[in-house]
Formats: sequence, C-alpha cells, structure tokens
Amino acid sequence: MSQKNKGQSSRLDRLTDMLVEDILASSDADLLAEAAADNDDGGTLARRAFERASRTVAVRHIAQNESPPGRRLAPANVRTLDPKTARGWLEAYLASNPETAGQLPRALRRGKKLSDEDVYGMLEALQQRGVLTERPIEQSRR
Amino acid sequence: MQPRHSGASLLTQVEVKRSISVLTAADWLRLHKVARALCRDAAFAADDLLQEAFQRALDGTRQCTRTLDIVHFLAGVMRSIASDWRKARKRRPEICLVTETGSLQDVVLQVRDSAPVADEVLAVNEEAARLKAAIFALFVDDCLAQRLLEGIMDGLAGAQLRSLTGLSETEFASKRRLIRRRIDKAYSKDWTP
Repeated sequence: MSQKNKGQSSRLDRLTDMLVEDILASSDADLLAEAAADNDDGGTLARRAFERASRTVAVRHIAQNESPPGRRLAPANVRTLDPKTARGWLEAYLASNPETAGQLPRALRRGKKLSDEDVYGMLEALQQRGVLTERPIEQSRR
Repeated sequence: MQPRHSGASLLTQVEVKRSISVLTAADWLRLHKVARALCRDAAFAADDLLQEAFQRALDGTRQCTRTLDIVHFLAGVMRSIASDWRKARKRRPEICLVTETGSLQDVVLQVRDSAPVADEVLAVNEEAARLKAAIFALFVDDCLAQRLLEGIMDGLAGAQLRSLTGLSETEFASKRRLIRRRIDKAYSKDWTP
C-alpha cells in the first residue's frame, strides 16, 4: 500500500478515534437529548444485540456441556473456538499437509503471522471442504 | 507490552453479564453510537459489531479489568474487532481446492497473496479521499471546524489541537461536539450518507 493511501486511511481513522472519544466523554444528558432530537433508537438496538449475544453464548455453553469430554464434534461455527485453539487446528492441519503449507504466500512461510480473522477464514474454508467435520476439542472455548 | 492481570483483578463472566445488564439508557445509546462511528466505510453493520463485542465479553474471550469502566472496555473491544474485520476484508485469503480426490491428504489449498493489487489500492485511496472531501463539505460554513478537522486528521490532540484554533477549553469541547453531531446526522446509520 502506498504511503499516500495509508495516509488517507489513517487520517480517517484519527477522525473516527476523535468521534469515539467524544461519544465516551459526552454526558448522559447530552446523549439522551441528542437521541430524542434525532429519533435515535440506538439504545434499544444495542440492548437487542446484547440479548442476541447472551442467547448465543448460552446455547454454546449448553452444546459444550452436552458433548462427552475430550471427544466433541467440531462446532458448526469455527468462530466459536478461541483464537489459540483455532490457530492450533490450522497449524496441525498444515503440519500434516505440507503440500498445502507450500501454497501459502512466501511472507507467511517466513513466519509472518496470520491475523485471527485469517485463521478463522481458512478454517471455514477447510470446513466447507469437509476436512474439519469431526475433531476432538480439548482446549478452552472462546 | 500489555500488563498481565491475575484472575482476581478481572471481572468474571457472570460479573461482566451483570455489569452490562444494568447499563443505563444513556450507556446503551453510547455503545450504539460508538459502534456506528466504527463502521466507517465498512462492510459490516453496527448491530453486528456490537453483538460480536458482547459475545466476546460474555464468553470470556475478551476480559475486563475491575478498574476499567465496562462501556470503555466494550468500546475497546469493538475497536479491535472492527480493525480485524476491516483488515480481513482487505486481505481475506482466497482459498480454493486444487485437487479434489476425496482424500484429506490430497487437499491442496491455494491462498492468494495478501498484498493488495494496484486496482485495490487505487479504489481504497479514492474512496478515502471521497469520504474525506464529503466530510469537509459538511463544514463549508465553518472555517474553524475545518481547521480542527485538519488538525485531528493530522494527528494533533489535546492542547496542541486546541492551540490550533485558539479556542478556550469549553469552546473547544463545543466545537468538537458540533463536528460529531453534524457527522452523526449526515451519516446516521454508518458512513454511507
């Protein structure tokens, strides 16, 4: 990425940072007045997002407790794995499939670290191919 | 380097859930506004970002120290997720099966090099420039606000930024709020007008 391009993005990032700072620093009264003036139902939407998140986490806990220890099916959503476990799965797969590792970009082979998002993306792709259909989960979950 | 925290200095998952459950109406609103601000030029929605942040807080993937305000903690989690998602969108590896033989050992993945190609660089650059111009256009009637915006985008902060405008602390806070309000109204859902 060129310096100019990096500059444009980071300039907007700095503006975003300022906006977030200002929101966090604003008084409750100001925020509520703004919401009333703008007909902003963000508070309700945030509460709903929390309820959805609570349900998702609860369902995962139930699924985790129902499976016998040490021998569980790979979760339908690999993103429920904690990042360390996900990385471990990918590394184990690549170790047993050196020809696959050989297809990775050179920078990654030299040790450049994949982001968590990259790891999940690759696991999802493997899962779609049926490679990760069953697998013991021995580490903690996300 | 991040300081290490012992278990006792971190909120338990139950405590995190309780802390979030009792947030005030203003705090729920604050969180949603932060999520919207972080969805700039992004292919994800504020509600999804918020939900993901709540999930990571509730399942313990992200842990909150006892001394940290829960709203500030969740804002930090959202910032981190948004950054990851944005990066992933820019350089998500494209993976495809080269040899499909049905045997696990024969599966070969091809991962596209993550370096953006010239077209992508150009597109991102143009989009950022367009957005920046659109934001400045919101303040054609306010030279002071434009100067403040330039300072913010140049990385100035605090007293340095304030001295650029010659405003008192109170005036500066009002101007900053005016900027946020105007942008908030122009881009009420995300950064798409």
